[in-house]
Amino acid sequence: MNKLCTLAEAISLVHDGDCVGLGGNTLNRAPMAAVFELIRQGRKNLRVVKTAGAMDVDALCLGGCADVVDAGFISYESQYGLAQRYRVSVQKGLVRANEHACYTVISALRAASYGIPFMPVRGLKVSDLRQVNDYFADVTDPFTGETLAAVQAIRPDFAIVHAQTADANGNACFEGPPYEDVLLSRAAKKVIVTAERIVGDGWFSAGEQKADIPHFMTAAVVHAPRGASPCACYGYYEPNDSLIRAFLALDGEAALHDFIRGRGEP
Amino acid sequence: MTRPCDMMVVAMARLIGDGDTVFHGVSSHMPMIATLLAKRTHAPNAVHLNIPGGVDPVKPALREYTSAGGELWESACAKLPLMEVFDLSMRGGLDVAFLSGVQFDALGHVNASVIGDYRKPKVRLPGGAGSAVLIPTARRAIIWRTKHDKRTFTGKVDFVTARGNVSDVVTPLCVFTMHEGELILKSVHPNSSIEEVAANTGFPIRYFSIEQTPPPTQEELRALREIDPMDYRSIEFR
Repeated sequence: MNKLCTLAEAISLVHDGDCVGLGGNTLNRAPMAAVFELIRQGRKNLRVVKTAGAMDVDALCLGGCADVVDAGFISYESQYGLAQRYRVSVQKGLVRANEHACYTVISALRAASYGIPFMPVRGLKVSDLRQVNDYFADVTDPFTGETLAAVQAIRPDFAIVHAQTADANGNACFEGPPYEDVLLSRAAKKVIVTAERIVGDGWFSAGEQKADIPHFMTAAVVHAPRGASPCACYGYYEPNDSLIRAFLALDGEAALHDFIRGRGEP
Repeated sequence: MTRPCDMMVVAMARLIGDGDTVFHGVSSHMPMIATLLAKRTHAPNAVHLNIPGGVDPVKPALREYTSAGGELWESACAKLPLMEVFDLSMRGGLDVAFLSGVQFDALGHVNASVIGDYRKPKVRLPGGAGSAVLIPTARRAIIWRTKHDKRTFTGKVDFVTARGNVSDVVTPLCVFTMHEGELILKSVHPNSSIEEVAANTGFPIRYFSIEQTPPPTQEELRALREIDPMDYRSIEFR
């Protein structure tokens, strides 16, 4: 089944208020083209899920798209400093920060992918995170009586991932660091794939390289060369320093829309 | 004169034992370089684990923008993605986790979450990343922080992101170590003094004996320049 469509068509599947899990890690293989399209289409009240986010979450906060962010870490790494738009949005009360340990995001996604309501996790023994967040609770091992922390499942409406290679049917594979993209695709109800290159039908069947995401899980495929830019995409490009600095200097939502229009990239 | 970043990275490397499984995360150039240094010098059998999931990357060409990128993958010998590194720690197989934060107290509480109220924070910090599960489950959690002042090493943290198996804390001035549930001074770096440490620490300084942190050796400095020719180990001091 041909699921190849434009970025605008793919992102129009996402509704206001949806829960959206984003692939990649910090500035590595973040699905930036899709993020910018969410902003361009004016999507609102999103709940954004990610283990460690940076520009993607920062942009959705600046664009007024996010209400809630579930993540273990939101910041650029050392070179580019804090995610100031996220930070300010949380401090102003515009965005709710649901702080996880990165692993509790993973555990919450695992629970969803296993079709169970929560997952016990070790750790969090002495942590205020456990007290102040309603997605953590105590659970008792029915066999030994040991008390553990539990994290509630997170089942995103959409996983949005950027892959190096996909076919029109929705088979997609990642090269290099996998991060949590495959898990995210299993936890979510639907998957949107953007890809550097689209290969022909039968490419995966004929070759040694098999898809990490099987076609039947994918709702839409978009050919998006440089679809992670200004972030990095393994095997294809490094981050675009001047675009990142231009983004960091943006002053408000209107400037962000101008930036997105003027990127000159799909 | 020894630069604080070199002293810190060397001090962190020396805390890694030969054969230890060692993990560092994002925004972690200093522990990444310390891990590579330890493997190059006294701990060739240490196991380098990271977010991209490349086990024991060989001479990675480090990048300024990340300590979680493809360079740690392409020359690795095996794959163990982040979620499996966490799993390893949960079942007791991770020896060392390097973590940071913005506030620490004498009992080893770490705050990487907020200054002020959690729901209405004065400052929303990046978050503890893996801290809340790794600090209690790794055998030794080693903390590094490039700021050493009374707001950072405080009498009471604003928020407890994690507490657990903090074993050592490396700062630009000194190394603290955990002794019977309390951080005590282990060694003072060559360019600092116990007076300077005490004047910049918000909790009382306790110690058994004061040692000077041995300065980096020529061999360590030479290895550092090879591992990190672009000097990303100074990134948190810029």
